[in-house]
This record gives sequence, structure tokens and C-alpha cells, in this order.
Amino acid sequence: MDKKEIFRKLLADNEFVFLDGAMGTMLQAKGMEAGGIPEMLNFDKPQWLKEIHGAYIEAGAQIVYTNTFGCNRYKMAKTGKTPGEIIPEAVRIAKEAADGRALAALDVGPIGQLLEPTGSLSFEEAYDIFREQMTAGEKAGADLIVCETMTDLYELKAAVLAAKENTDLPIICTMTFEQNGRTFTGCAVSSMALTLKGLGVDAIGVNCSLGPKELEPVVAELSKWTHLPIVVKPNAGLPDPVTGEYNVTPEGFAESLCGLVKYGVKIVGGCCGTTPEFIKAAVGALRKMKHVPNAPEIISAVCSPAKTVVIDGPRIIGERINPTGKKRFKEALKSGDTDYILGQAIEQAKAGADLLDVNVGLPDIDEKAVMVKTVKAIQGITELPLQLDSTIPEVLEAALRVYNGKPIVNSVNGEEKSLETILPLVKKYGAAVVGLTLDEGGIPKTAEGRFAIAEKIMNRALSMGIPKENIFIDCLTLTASAEQEGVMETVKALARVKNELGLKTVLGVSNISFGLPNRELINANFLQMCLSHGLDLPIINPNVPAMTGAVRAYRLLANIDKNAAEFIEAYNAAPTAAMAAPAATAASSANKESTPESLIAAVCGGLKGESGSITKELLKSHECMKIVDEMLIPALDKAGADFESGRIFLPQLILAAGAAQAAFEEIKKSMGGSKGVSKGKVVLATVKGDIHDIGKNIVKVLLENYGFEVIDLGRDVPYEDVLNAALDEEVKLVGLSALMTTTLKAMEETIALVKSNKPECRIVVGGAVLTPEYAMKIGADYYAKDAKATVDAAREVYETEVRS
Amino acid sequence: MIELTKINRAEAFRYMGLKGDIPENISALADECESRLMNAAAPKFHWVYADISENSGDVVTLSGHRLVLRGKDISEHLSGCFGAALMCATLGDGVDKLLRAVQAEDMAKAVTVDAFASAAVEQVCDIAEREIGERFAGKFTTWRFSPGYGDFPLECQGDFLGAVNAMRTVGVCVTEGGLLTPTKSVTAVIGISEREVPRKRRGCGTCNMRDKCNFRKNGGHCNG
Repeated sequence: MDKKEIFRKLLADNEFVFLDGAMGTMLQAKGMEAGGIPEMLNFDKPQWLKEIHGAYIEAGAQIVYTNTFGCNRYKMAKTGKTPGEIIPEAVRIAKEAADGRALAALDVGPIGQLLEPTGSLSFEEAYDIFREQMTAGEKAGADLIVCETMTDLYELKAAVLAAKENTDLPIICTMTFEQNGRTFTGCAVSSMALTLKGLGVDAIGVNCSLGPKELEPVVAELSKWTHLPIVVKPNAGLPDPVTGEYNVTPEGFAESLCGLVKYGVKIVGGCCGTTPEFIKAAVGALRKMKHVPNAPEIISAVCSPAKTVVIDGPRIIGERINPTGKKRFKEALKSGDTDYILGQAIEQAKAGADLLDVNVGLPDIDEKAVMVKTVKAIQGITELPLQLDSTIPEVLEAALRVYNGKPIVNSVNGEEKSLETILPLVKKYGAAVVGLTLDEGGIPKTAEGRFAIAEKIMNRALSMGIPKENIFIDCLTLTASAEQEGVMETVKALARVKNELGLKTVLGVSNISFGLPNRELINANFLQMCLSHGLDLPIINPNVPAMTGAVRAYRLLANIDKNAAEFIEAYNAAPTAAMAAPAATAASSANKESTPESLIAAVCGGLKGESGSITKELLKSHECMKIVDEMLIPALDKAGADFESGRIFLPQLILAAGAAQAAFEEIKKSMGGSKGVSKGKVVLATVKGDIHDIGKNIVKVLLENYGFEVIDLGRDVPYEDVLNAALDEEVKLVGLSALMTTTLKAMEETIALVKSNKPECRIVVGGAVLTPEYAMKIGADYYAKDAKATVDAAREVYETEVRS
Repeated sequence: MIELTKINRAEAFRYMGLKGDIPENISALADECESRLMNAAAPKFHWVYADISENSGDVVTLSGHRLVLRGKDISEHLSGCFGAALMCATLGDGVDKLLRAVQAEDMAKAVTVDAFASAAVEQVCDIAEREIGERFAGKFTTWRFSPGYGDFPLECQGDFLGAVNAMRTVGVCVTEGGLLTPTKSVTAVIGISEREVPRKRRGCGTCNMRDKCNFRKNGGHCNG
């Protein structure tokens, strides 16, 4: 029997399966100091561990966790031991103590560092750290793997992938929730359940943080979202900060656990503060009860950690993150301007998108690398789940890997090659998938033909273990101007797929009107037709009010948006912000004359909308560089001078820069994104080890709005990356930022590396803890006390250059 | 988890370098940023108490703890104290996400959210400090002293978080560079004494920022 079967049999043979209780609590009782390193006791006090495991098994535990909670490369670095040395000891001790009476689970806790983007550990590094633990555990003979006390779904995903790809062991995952049903990183119970189910773990649940009574709402919620065996391993209540004592007794603990049985709890144990008495009491109390299988309703849903989108009616997929036909977007992809793409994400989220399609396909870029970077960046700033859109399987796989949650894959189609390559990825990563109704023969003209392909895709997906609720069919929109007779075929096919196959439907709507006047009118009407025939996921431009409005109105009229709550929230609650504001801006700028003076005034006053619209007007009669040199730069100079003299403050200076940025956007648009306005290239980086980059980003905005081209390397930047960027012959200035005293060393090292390889390159440094003296001491050429001073340095460097 | 009902605006504006009357456009910005910050923040704190077993004047050792508090300044801060409360407060990861989002949206908002968040995490610390004071009613407490103040090294953050079990209790970690994450997080030590302790004014005297602090350059200080 392999280990998965052993675990399944354990679940099948027992009404409830019992885990052990706390390890740390028991070790502290034996004399370990608070904040000590328990993993070293595998060498120093193996007898303690044997006693603890033994006591839990005697109390009734059928699975004991090895003493390896923090046994990862990162945490163990200070001990001089590696996970490869410690884990075999810990597993051996647990197995010897169990002596066939219990299974030994390799215990894997969080790494102890937050992942990107809040922390500095990358997903890939996290995977590698976990891989080392998982392989060592399996090699040492562990019977299963337990990932516990996880608060970051992303970190847990790295751990699960590491376990699934490198071992054959069963996996239990438990996360730690607060009473509000969220983990510390904001992960919802539903998102945990959807994501882990997709990744194929064997049991899921909750541990730590609270007592069994306080965890009730969390467990109740979990039972609505999963068919997997549910694990509960609560604390013995809450500790007293002074005495360290927990406030729940073994009897109270057991009684509260009994209260959770109705939610389908199958596997039970204890976390912080619990002892063998707690496990014994739990075993005694639960002996009288029967397991209640949890059988929640099956629903279609996708998620990010913080947001689960249930497809129980039309949901909007925003289509704007896609370079097709967009000059400015293509330029942003080529130049690595992620901020522009993030701006598109934010705009669509505000406009009412429920999900975002992400397509970065462009012939002359590394689509895989750009996709990974873009997905990571977007999920770092928005809660909306993503639809990963590419025609290349490798790009999709890379995106699926780094996506945090359960995404949609766009797309598979009826071609054999597509089915063979895409569906296994969808299955492995537990995603939902869009199936396009086309195949080797192209797009069938008739509804029947498309329905047949939809059915084929469905059957193939089902045979691979992809459940029905994860299959969404796109019956494909053809352009009405070219194939008018095809429009109703799409609608008919959609209705049949929905009603006869019982699948959710998705459709890109905007193509319908291509080549026709008044496109918006056609789009909105076509959208309404499709919605009333069963369209669930319209892919539209949510920034067009008529389109988003059509979906909202449909949800109201179809009695999905109960009491019109969403509708009223969208249109009534914030009329000033959502509708009146743009109207007011438009009106005021229409009244205003578009003169150089008015542009300068708009920039100095920080008026984004106005400075954009005035620039647009001025571009009709003025050359780009004239606007930059004679209006924008003087305006920024005035704002800068006011800032230096204390007449305005940093936020106002930044508002002015933002207004100039709006003007630059118009200029860039008119130039088709060419680099004509660049006054010179500046490399910016927050140094290695430092993750506070708001200061650097302020500098970036100011520099860009003075016409400099900024190569932003981000934060926590390795020395070599700065050098490599600086080696570009056009770069004459590098700006480095460091916030903490602890990272000044990294700044010094970076300067030394750049100077020794490119002595003529100037370096400007800034940051809260720097002084002018220190800046000179570590070899910088300029010390910038604020963002404005960096601009001054850049102008000096490049203007000197022009003269010489 | 605790709830902040209101953010100390005066404090936040001071972090933004604003003096005198608040311009209308900044005030409008502040309204939006404050409400978004409130939605994003999940403020919480945790503290543990430890007996002081020895205070040599350079090093303070705590009974039953691996954490050792090093430096003349923390030793002086705890002189005369029989014990110490070790606390960790945070606004949570949601605020980092908000900060990233507003940086992509509008740097002026980013600066504002950042300042309001700094003010907010101090308020969380105030609540923690009050709870500690109430728990030791009848005793005397010092003000909060954080790693990085004076010669109290930032390098102890890892052990400090271990002592408070911060990863489990409030979700705070430290990067390899010694920085707390989520970024709007604070660790601090409060001394507990039988006798009244001189409540020196916070900050400047022992602060390692005293020569380059913007508040001081403008004639102020960071604590009111």
C-alpha cells in the first residue's frame, strides 16, 4: 500500500482521525526558553521529543507531527545545520516513538519571511526552500506532509507545488484565520478552499490563532466551500501575556470541538497551549459522535486570496490589459513600463470589473517573462481574480504557476493539439478554463457546429478530471458588418451550451461592432441580447459606462442583484465621485482657454484633468518639445522653487508632478510613444536589502515629469543589476535610495561596483538616514536631500553634458 | 484585532511636512486616503511580559527568553525596572497592498496614505501601551523604546519577534535586511517598575536620527 492509500484508509476506517497537540508548549514546559530553536532539540534532547510524541500517541493521536515546524534553510541558517541534516533526525525520532501506532507527518510551517511583494522573498525561492524540506522528509520516511499555520496563500501554494512535484506523499494543509475569517495576509476561507482543492491536496482546515469555540464561524464557512476532509487544530484559547497560560481547559476544549462536528470536521488535534490531556479529552468526547460528511452545493467560482468571485450571474471581465490595437500599451510592454499596465488594472477595477483578462502577447518581447512580471505586479495591487490569456502553453503555465489563487485560463479550443497541451495545465493548477468553439476546421458557421465543439471540449475536460463548474465556453463573436447572419448563431449556440450542457458561458463582446459607426450602441445591445440568453462572463471594456451599466441593469432586472443593492451602490452612493466629477472637469476645462499660461497654472495647481486637456489642445498648434521646454518644465520649476522656499509642501509638489504627467501622457500619445521627449536616462534603485521604496518612487515621478527617462529597477536590487543597467552608454546618472542604517552598507557596495566599472557615471543618493558627509564618504557624487534635489542633480549632469 | 475609529490627522499632516492651514486639495486627498486606509488596515498588537534577570548597563537579559536586549540606551531605559513588556503592533499586509496600489495610481495619494498609516500604527501602539499600563496598574511604566533607537540594534528584530511569537500572533516577520514586514509594524519595549520612572521626552535625546531629522530641522520633534 502506498502512503496515499494508507492515509485514505486511515480516514475511511475511523469516524474521526486524531492529530497530536502542541509541540512548543510541551518543549517550554520541559525547559526550552521562549524564542528558542526547537529544531535543535532533535539533536540535543531527542528523549524529550520521544516522550512528547509518545504521550500524544497514548492520548489517542493517530498522526504525530515531526519537530520540524521551522526547519527550513532560511530559519536554520543561524544554527549551522541544514534541513537535510535535521529532518531525518526528527522523522526518525517520531517514527521510533510511534512504533507503528501512528503516522509521522513531516511538519512544515511558514518560512518566516513574507513573500514578495510585501516581503523580499520570491515565489520561486520559497518553492526551492520547501522543495528541500519535502524531499528530505519523504526520503527520511515521513508518512505524509502537513503544511500548517500558513497565513499567506501564495506561500502555501509554493509549498504544495513543492510537495506534489517532488514527492508522492499525501498533503494536509491548514491555515491560520482570525475571527473575521481572514488570515493575516487577508486570505479568505473560500479562496483557500478553492485554490487548494484545485492544487489537489488531501485534507484542508484551520489551526492555531484561536480556541475551538472562536473558530466556529471559520469552520462553518469552510464547510460551505469544500468536499475535502476538514481538519481542525485549535489553540487552548488565548494566552495571558504575563503568565503565558491559556484560558481553555481540556474538557472545555473537547466540548467545543464536539460543537464543530456538524460542519463535517474529520481530523482533529490541538495547537498552541494544548497538551496530551486535551487530545485525550477530545478523543473521549468525540467517541460518542458520528462524522457528518460535508456536502456543499457545487458552484462555479474563481478567486484571488482576498476575493472570491462566484459566477452566479453575469460578471464582468475587463479586456483592457491587452496590446491588440493599442499603441500606448505596446510601447509600455516594450519599455517595461509596468506602472502603465497597473494603471489599466486600477481603472477597470474602479469602473466595475469583476475579473481582469491579462494578455501581454507581442511578437518581439519575451512574452513568458513579461507575463510572469505582469501577473505578479497586478496581483500585488488588486483583489480582482485574473484571466490568464495567451496562445502559448509555456506562457500559460508560467502564469498559472505564479498566480495567487484560482484563475481562468484563456483559452483552449477544439483542436487536438490545444486540448492535449492546455487541459493538463488547467488540471494541474486547478484553474477554470475558457473553451473556444473552433477547431481544425475553423469557426463553424452554425450554432450546431459550435455546440458540438463545446460538447467535445467539455467531455475531454471531464475525462481529465476537470469538473464541469470549471469549464466556461466561448461561442465566439463575429463582426456584424462582415458576417451579419452569424450574429444570431453565436447567441443560439450560447443559449444551447448554457441550457443543454449546463456550462457557464463567456464571450468577448466588443468585436461585434467592428467597422460600424456608433459602436457603443451596437455593443451595448448585443451585450443585452447575450445576457438574456445566458451569458455569464462578458469580456468588455468596463470603462465604457454603457457596457458596465448594461450588466448592472441586467443583474437588477434578472433579480440577481437583490434589492438593487449593487446597482444603488454604483450609481447612487457616490454621484459626486463617479459621475459628477469628470463632468465638472470637462466643463471647467472647456470654458478655459488653452494657452501656455493656463497650462502652467494647471500644472502648478496640481490639476491633472485640466493639464491633460489643455495639452491636447495645445498640441494642435505647438510642437511637443516647445510644450515641454517652455511650459511644463517652467511650471515644474516654479512648483519646485515654491517647495524649496516652503510656500508649498511635498504632497503639492507631487500633485504638480502628477498634473505634468497627465500632460506628458498626451504628448506621448501624439508621438506614438517615441522617445523624442527624453532629456536623458537615469537609473533608479532602492538598494539591496531595502524594501521601502516610496521615496524612490517620488523621485521617479519628478524626474519623468522633467522629461528624463527613468529606468526603474525597483527595490531590493542586487549590486550587479544596478551596474548592468548603468552600463547602457546613454546612462550618465544613477540614483540610489536607502531608508535604513542597516542598508547603507549595500549602498556603499553598489557605488563601488558602479564606479569601478564605469568611473564616469555620476551617482546621486538619498534616503532618510543619509547625510551629505556620509554620502560623499561612500563615494556618491551628489547628496539629494529630497526629490527636487535629485532633479537638480540630473539636470546638472545632463546639461553639462550638452555643453561639453 | 482592534478597531481604529479615527486617525490622528494633525500627526499625519506633520509627517507630510505640512504646516499651518491645510490647503483644500490636500484636505480632499486626505479624506479619500483616510477612508481607504481604514478599509485596508487590520490593526492588531500582541505583547508578552518578561522578568528582567539582569541589567548590566550594557545588556539586559530576560528570564526564560532567548532575546537579549543590548545597548547602553535600552539598559538605561530599563534601569530600575523589574520587568519588561515586549510588544509588536501592525496595521497588517492590506496596508502594504494599498500603498502599492496608490503608488501606481497617484504618488500624492501614496505620500498621504503613507503618512496616515504611520500615524495609525502609532495609535495602535498607544492602545497596546494603555493595555499594558492597565495590566500593571499600581506599578509604573516607561515609554516605548524600539530597536533602532539610540544604540539599541535593529539586528535584534528577529529574536524580538520570536519572543513575542509575532509571526503567529500578529503576522509580522523580518526580512534578511532586518526590516519588519508588513512595513507598517512596530516593535517596542516598555519597562515596568515599582517606583516612578523619569519620563524623559521621547525620541530626540537618544534617537539615532537626531542629526538628520526633518522635524528637528524645522524646529519640532516627532512626538507632539
